Amino acid sequence: MRRLVLALVAVGLASNAEAATLKIAAIGEVSGPCAPPAAEAPAGEKAYFTLLQERLGRDVLKCPVVDRVEAARALADGKVDLAVLDQAAFEPVKLTTRPILTVRPKGGLHRIPILVMTKASKAAPNLASLKGTTAVFGGQSAAALAMPRRTLADQGLGPGFFAHESVAADTDAAAKELRAGAADAMVINASAWQRLCRGDKPGEDRCRDLKTVWRGRPRAPLAVVIRRDMPDELRFRLIGIHVAMHVEAKPAFAWASSWIAGGAEFEPTEAEALTVTSR
Amino acid sequence: MRRLWRLPIVALGCVILASCGGRETKTASDDWRGEMKQVRIAVRGSEDDPAVARRWNVYREYLGKATGLPVKLYESSDYNGTIQALSSGQVDMANIAAGGYANVDAQVGDQVAPVLTVRQAEGGMGYYSALLVRADSPIRSLSDMKGRTLGYVDFNSTSGYLFPRAKMRQQGVDPDTFFGKTSFAGGHTQAVMALENGQFDATIIQIGGGDPVHGFTTGALYTMARRGLVDVEDFRVIWTAGPIPSSTIVTRTDRPQPFIDIVRGAMAALPYEQPDLWRDIAQPDGSAYTAVDRSFYADIIELRAADIADRRAGRRQEDKPS
Repeated sequence: MRRLVLALVAVGLASNAEAATLKIAAIGEVSGPCAPPAAEAPAGEKAYFTLLQERLGRDVLKCPVVDRVEAARALADGKVDLAVLDQAAFEPVKLTTRPILTVRPKGGLHRIPILVMTKASKAAPNLASLKGTTAVFGGQSAAALAMPRRTLADQGLGPGFFAHESVAADTDAAAKELRAGAADAMVINASAWQRLCRGDKPGEDRCRDLKTVWRGRPRAPLAVVIRRDMPDELRFRLIGIHVAMHVEAKPAFAWASSWIAGGAEFEPTEAEALTVTSR
Repeated sequence: MRRLWRLPIVALGCVILASCGGRETKTASDDWRGEMKQVRIAVRGSEDDPAVARRWNVYREYLGKATGLPVKLYESSDYNGTIQALSSGQVDMANIAAGGYANVDAQVGDQVAPVLTVRQAEGGMGYYSALLVRADSPIRSLSDMKGRTLGYVDFNSTSGYLFPRAKMRQQGVDPDTFFGKTSFAGGHTQAVMALENGQFDATIIQIGGGDPVHGFTTGALYTMARRGLVDVEDFRVIWTAGPIPSSTIVTRTDRPQPFIDIVRGAMAALPYEQPDLWRDIAQPDGSAYTAVDRSFYADIIELRAADIADRRAGRRQEDKPS
């Protein structure tokens, strides 16, 4: 009887600790057991853990790992709940985990969708089929050129994929080049696409003569990753706390986002943010 | 003796087991729901855009799933209804323009706080006021409006009243004396319809989806045109003011923090997790929510306070015996 009671007590203690913690992988020199941040930890680190603990009403522990591969393994095995992964570390665990947050750099854009368009009549079923053709971009701004180029590179379409690239003055000029046959493909962002194609009359579509071959966001270089079985409530609370951190808890944000130089804010991500979505 | 030691052990076991369940409930997962019971959202009725009604129905379903609570929409027919519902605590959250939030802020301060606003693809976080005339009007500029009739949208409208008046003053135009007569249309749609019907010479409405250089694609005029109610070619923009800080999702701050965090997290995740839905509810393509606080609206709060002070001063002068 005494053993039974003690066993019950032990189980109670264990499940209590299990249910009441959030374990975060943190890369350090050596692996180690999960524990609260050390007394000598940087102020930002302590602020981050305290913020999460207060807002989630549970203990938040730091779990030292030596690299992102170990962090990914620990996440998949249920030893940690949150880890910052890169694309390589994420790949082996992508079936059971997903990214939820990345960091937008200061002065940078959020990860806006990019579209690759051709004339509707062109036989171009996918991105790969455009290899060796010509492409036009819709302007010199970061949203019109740098982000589309980065997005294409993420898909494996770096320099040399198109036989020739040109940059038009704006979206309208790029569309003119495409329609005139001066370029085989047009690469623009989603906002430019909407301005170009949405008409001012009922049911009007100004791009009926064009088609979208591919649409996707740039890949996140790094992201906060969770297991897919995390309850939606906890996932949304984590996202809500993190996206506001740059205004509500600046020291915590500075520490928590330090894996990207000069972070401006946490930005939510889709589940495919660390993977190549389509060719 | 055996019974004696059993009692405290069993009691201890019960305490620990209770603490397991208790800890779970105290993580606010259940407590905050019991406290709130439902989510009440104030929405503006009689909007010009059917997509707005669709948007709130989508939000109702989405937030219902995210919070695990029934979501009720409380429709108000004018700006003030939303403002008062928020200020009095009759609702938990709303989407409200900057000027409306400034009004709420003046009434209840930090009991209501902005949590999210929309960030455009190119990084902008604002929209514009447009002074609109009929295309066949001889009026070509703001200065041509001297002595003419002007229709504002609503006293609590940011783009249709508060912001353009402040910009006019900065440009040397006193909006209280410059125009021959001013009135309120009651909404952006009504303002455009009244202008078309010749009820006044110009109106000031919200306009967005671009800028004065690249042109505009969103706002009541464009929405009405896409519904076949008006033709964009029948109107001309003669003056713009902006950018104005975009509208904001606000919550009551006296609601449980888990509720506020879930609202912010779920809404912020929406354009990434359900991009088709995001477009379907007429959010600008490529845009996303970003977190803001009161400081983002500080200029508008100041403008509103100054506008009210000006008008009060004016009324005091008018009240003086001649």
